[in-house]
Amino acid sequence: MEEESEKNPETDVAPALISVHPTHKFVSVAVGSDLRVFNLQESCVVTLADESGAHKDSIRAIRYSANGQLFVSAGDDKLVKIWATDSWRCIYSVVSEKRVSAVGISNDGMFVCFADKFGVVYVVDIEDHDVEDRVPVNKKAVPILSHYCSIITRLEFSLDGRFIVSADRDFKIRVTIFPKNPVNGAHEIQSFCLGHTEFVSCLAFVGCQDYPQGLLVSGSGDSTVRLWDHTSGSLLDTYNCGAQAELLHSNGKEEEILPAITDLCTTPDSSVVAVAIQSLPGVMLLRCNLSTRTLSVAKVVSIAGEAFIPTSIGGHLGF
Amino acid sequence: MLEHEANANANSTHSKTTGLPRKRFYRARAHSNPLSDSHFPVPISPGQVDYSVYYPQLFPSPDKFDGSKRIEFADVGCGFGGLLISLSTMFPETLMIGMELRDKVTEYVKERVVALRSSNPGQYENVSVVRTNSMKYIPNYFEKEQLTKMFFLFPDPHFKEKNHRRRVINLHLLDEYAYVLREGGIIYTITDVEELGVWMKSCLEGHPLFEAVTKEELEADAVVKLLSSATEEGQKVARNGGQTFQAVYRRIAPCVSNCEKH
Ligand SMILES: C[S@@+](CC[C@H](N)C(=O)[O-])C[C@H]1O[C@@H](n2cnc3c(N)ncnc32)[C@H](O)[C@@H]1O
Repeated sequence: MEEESEKNPETDVAPALISVHPTHKFVSVAVGSDLRVFNLQESCVVTLADESGAHKDSIRAIRYSANGQLFVSAGDDKLVKIWATDSWRCIYSVVSEKRVSAVGISNDGMFVCFADKFGVVYVVDIEDHDVEDRVPVNKKAVPILSHYCSIITRLEFSLDGRFIVSADRDFKIRVTIFPKNPVNGAHEIQSFCLGHTEFVSCLAFVGCQDYPQGLLVSGSGDSTVRLWDHTSGSLLDTYNCGAQAELLHSNGKEEEILPAITDLCTTPDSSVVAVAIQSLPGVMLLRCNLSTRTLSVAKVVSIAGEAFIPTSIGGHLGF
Repeated sequence: MLEHEANANANSTHSKTTGLPRKRFYRARAHSNPLSDSHFPVPISPGQVDYSVYYPQLFPSPDKFDGSKRIEFADVGCGFGGLLISLSTMFPETLMIGMELRDKVTEYVKERVVALRSSNPGQYENVSVVRTNSMKYIPNYFEKEQLTKMFFLFPDPHFKEKNHRRRVINLHLLDEYAYVLREGGIIYTITDVEELGVWMKSCLEGHPLFEAVTKEELEADAVVKLLSSATEEGQKVARNGGQTFQAVYRRIAPCVSNCEKH
């Protein structure tokens, strides 16, 4: 989680973003157009090497690949930057026609996907990213699927890599088969997960050894976190976090307005989901029971301090 | 037609001074229909479509609906409903619905159906209309593999290249139509605009989940004859002696291996 940046009052500030390297080596933070990476193991700031220059406008999405070798940052400057985390060099800078709202990396690290503000999802083939002496080329992105006229808020690959899941600002979650050769498009829709009544802000998968395909969790402006069987699209459970958070931190005002879920975070091989809620100065931890397919509150962790609004939550939580 | 562009400025949901999400963009409304898109309500999911509203004779109360009989035909951009009226008596056992964006036109079709039902007792109970934006809400109305026929008759042409993405047939929307159509289901398209005819055919041809219906099958299919004659738009074109361009494709199973079309 990060506090909202209060600087630069003249321009719209994007929510601060945080992302933790899968083996806790690095933590990346984006505030506005500023991208910072900190080496957690050596306790030092990482210097980014980017010949094409830094992001010039608000960063809207950052993430590490599953094996931690790649990092992607993208946003309003219509650039998708793909970084090698061993050297922290920007190895590709992909130009998008429109502003970028979400990014995803296939589990095998072969493809980077990103969504633009018209709801179109593009794929970039980066299979050659670890080839020695590779000539830097300008990668071309190809459209693979689209949410008609709705901004895509999140892209996520299923744990088994079979599906790419996209969520939008209407209420829709689309589960699409991610083909072997995605540059020809991802045409086969597996399911729609429909149930949210406001924009979907975040997605994550929970899974464990006994349940490797996992289940999908989503958070929304409707103040709920929902659990889905993403292969069938069926809604398994709904947890009304907002109502809970309001009970715990009621300030007596604005009772009717349920706070939005701003982010979700899961950890591999754990059934705990950390939830950032707009009005909650802290984090709500939900337990996902994969055999009964239910959600329940495990703990609410309060974080003291003023003007704290969680906007993004990342990494392996040590709770 | 009305167009709901993606809110071009995602930033507008955030306050200029604090950068915080503005409450009014993020509040969950307690009472009004949360999925209302401008003026019409949208069902949250296909399971929440109230069939008693559309087919009152067949589903007298909302609780009587057991999901055993579902809508199978969708006429997308049905206009004044001429096609549905013909299909209704041709397939009396099949539930069918028109989807229309314009309010007044939808009201007209509703009244037309009510009038036909009362002057022909027992008939036209299987046909209805809903006001919606089909380009956004098809998955809210139909489950996966629910439909057996979809119709796109004389859709708006949207000539300018930058507006091609507004065309009701495009490669991406075909993914959704393939999702709601069951294997073997048929998609019927017709237009009097040659450029649009070529476009619709090439989109369908390029989509891995559709294949062209053969000439013999087209001749044997009584529905094909209605494409140019049953709708108001079709009749207008016929009166003016205009040419029409049709593309009729079948929903096929996906290739299991990683094979390529063509
Ligand atoms: C040229 S008319 C054809 C009507 C009818 N199919 C016929 O052949 O007479 C196209 C119709 O599509 C409707 N339409 C356009 N976009 C639509 C959308 N996104 N959802 C539903 N209807 C739409 C328009 O309101 C119009 O009535």
